[in-house]
Amino acid sequence: MERRYLIPYLLLLPAVLYLLGFIGYPLIQAFYLAFTKDGAFSLDTVRRAVSDYYFWDAIKNTLLFGAVIVPIQLTLAVVLALFMNRAFKGRDLGIYALIIPLTISDVAAGLIWFSMLSPYGFLNKMLMNIGIIDTPIYFFGYQYRMREFLVIVLAEIWRATSIVFVIILAGLQMISREYIEAAEVFGAGYWTRLRHIVLPMLKPSIQSALIIRTLFAMQVFGIVLILAGRDIPVLAAEGFRQMVDIKDPGVASIYALIIAGVSLVLAALYVKFLRAEYLEVGRE
Amino acid sequence: MKRLFGLLLVGVVVFAAVASGCIGGTTEKVTVTFLSTQLNPPEERVFVKDELLKPFTDESNVEINFVPIQYTDLITRLEGEEKTGKVTIDVIGDLHGGMDYMASQGWLTDLSNMPKLEGRTFISTFEKYSVINGKKVYVPWMSATYVMVVNKDAFKYLPAGLTQEDVMKGTEKWTYDALLQWGKNLKEATGRPQLGFPAGPKGLWHRFLHGYIYPSFTGYQAKKFNSPEAIEMWDYMKELWPYINPSSTVWDAMSDPLLKGEVMIAWDHTARLKNAIETKPDQFVVVPVPRGPKGRGFIVVLAGLAIPEGAPHQDEAWKLIDYLTRPDVQVKVLEKTGFFPTVEEASGKLPEGPLKILAQGVQAQASTPDALVAIIPNLGEKGGQFTSMYREAFERIVLKNEDPQKVLNELGPQMDAIFKELGAEAP
Repeated sequence: MERRYLIPYLLLLPAVLYLLGFIGYPLIQAFYLAFTKDGAFSLDTVRRAVSDYYFWDAIKNTLLFGAVIVPIQLTLAVVLALFMNRAFKGRDLGIYALIIPLTISDVAAGLIWFSMLSPYGFLNKMLMNIGIIDTPIYFFGYQYRMREFLVIVLAEIWRATSIVFVIILAGLQMISREYIEAAEVFGAGYWTRLRHIVLPMLKPSIQSALIIRTLFAMQVFGIVLILAGRDIPVLAAEGFRQMVDIKDPGVASIYALIIAGVSLVLAALYVKFLRAEYLEVGRE
Repeated sequence: MKRLFGLLLVGVVVFAAVASGCIGGTTEKVTVTFLSTQLNPPEERVFVKDELLKPFTDESNVEINFVPIQYTDLITRLEGEEKTGKVTIDVIGDLHGGMDYMASQGWLTDLSNMPKLEGRTFISTFEKYSVINGKKVYVPWMSATYVMVVNKDAFKYLPAGLTQEDVMKGTEKWTYDALLQWGKNLKEATGRPQLGFPAGPKGLWHRFLHGYIYPSFTGYQAKKFNSPEAIEMWDYMKELWPYINPSSTVWDAMSDPLLKGEVMIAWDHTARLKNAIETKPDQFVVVPVPRGPKGRGFIVVLAGLAIPEGAPHQDEAWKLIDYLTRPDVQVKVLEKTGFFPTVEEASGKLPEGPLKILAQGVQAQASTPDALVAIIPNLGEKGGQFTSMYREAFERIVLKNEDPQKVLNELGPQMDAIFKELGAEAP
């Protein structure tokens, strides 16, 4: 009896140890760096972080990226997944093509888009050769931050929609045909089926896709650095700058904690508002 | 007691000899671990391994493990090794600023007791900088600077009164005002801004601000950070900005923009410009930077070789340092990487070709009579804060159009605080 009681805990132990060692300890360390000075509690580092010229801009820009990129990616991924979920010739090829950007790192994706859109890049050269424009269109540079923002959004959508797509497609394929058929018997049209059966049953997948994408959006870094330099400061890049250039681990920890905090809050909101409806379980 | 001590000593020596592989004849090679933040690009690594270090191994029977490393990784590794007492690094190659930090932490051996390096005279400024707090912490290895590169086509649009010769030689007439007028002419003629700077996050733009234009206008890098002369300089920068390619804020190096024809005049580090000159040696010339009211400010960069405290193979490490600072080896490094020698004997042997264009420009800049040489200040951990203040000032004053006096009033005290905290005088 005693041993059976212990087994679940023993099975959990490795995971708990891992979490404590690789997440718990650094987290405590980050709090320590952020909120102490000479061993005592202090808000000195926080003051330093908040008074940094780029601090509020970094928070604003990061949230803005998340707010713009994530909904577009989700919508796009759902539409693509619904399309790819039916049987047609070349479907597998289509899925492969959609997944290719997944294999490209954000830095590489940034470089691809940068060379494509730079004043003497592919796009400008093409437009000039056709005769649509005389002088190249600038996409990069401080005066063109709005365009830089759009290019980053575009590059991120191109690169990271596929991960959302994969999750949604897997979710779609798990929905049993029986529900759809039953609805069809009762005369439900495509939109009714989508609204009342497919989307509700997709909720768990949507939830995980949203959480994953939002976490990544809060950490956006390489692609911004390549396409916009520091014209558009974001949290992860500023944290990196504080750590590497300015050598202020305290302020860098604050940036890291903000990323963690914001991600945690958003994930909690997703869990609360997208409560999954598992049709199979819960009916006694 | 004495005997016991003697015995112990013998024991230690025997153990050390066995551990270092000295006993048992010459069959076993010693491997020296050489960590370098310089010569890291792939093609330079190949050069270092195949052409630079191989002859050394052949003549001395010392194997070199060349490890290209980023500055932050180097610091992390060295700190770890010094703290645990298990040092594996024998030689460090890094810039003066990094050496300064490592020396301040007490991680570098005092080299003044090492045997003399024969047959070479180190350039005296470099020699002076390699002694930090009275300790000879490194041997000057390579030097570099930042210059301007001009596409020859741009000379067609020179402002009145300025000749190509003025620019190439860096005469009195080659001023920042002349650059402004030239930039204007170029924009009017081509319809696009033709000046370029590496103002991206990994670009060296801050060096231009504190080492070039600040000294040229105020006479100092930081001492007159907030002064009427500085305001005059920032007003000038605001006037110049429309003639600078706007993509500058995302460029990290100027070789590509020059080669792609996006700009005709660019300023950057010699090593980052080398590729453009090598690819099109007939198209570009290297020229001294312009002068300002107080003179011609420019930076000299210095890389050195050091031995960490407790390095396992000190003698072999010194042999490597001896080899790397020989005049003929220094010329070889110049040929392959564009880093300039630190010993006087080498500078006489200028090789022909694209490199000569670079070397001539560097020499012309160094020998201008109004030269105001700036060495990147020894700020250790505060170095990042120092440079980021110039960038912030630039962003706010030039890009966001804030009032220069207001910005300098805010940043000035922070700048003073850095030097006060370090107990150093602002350069």
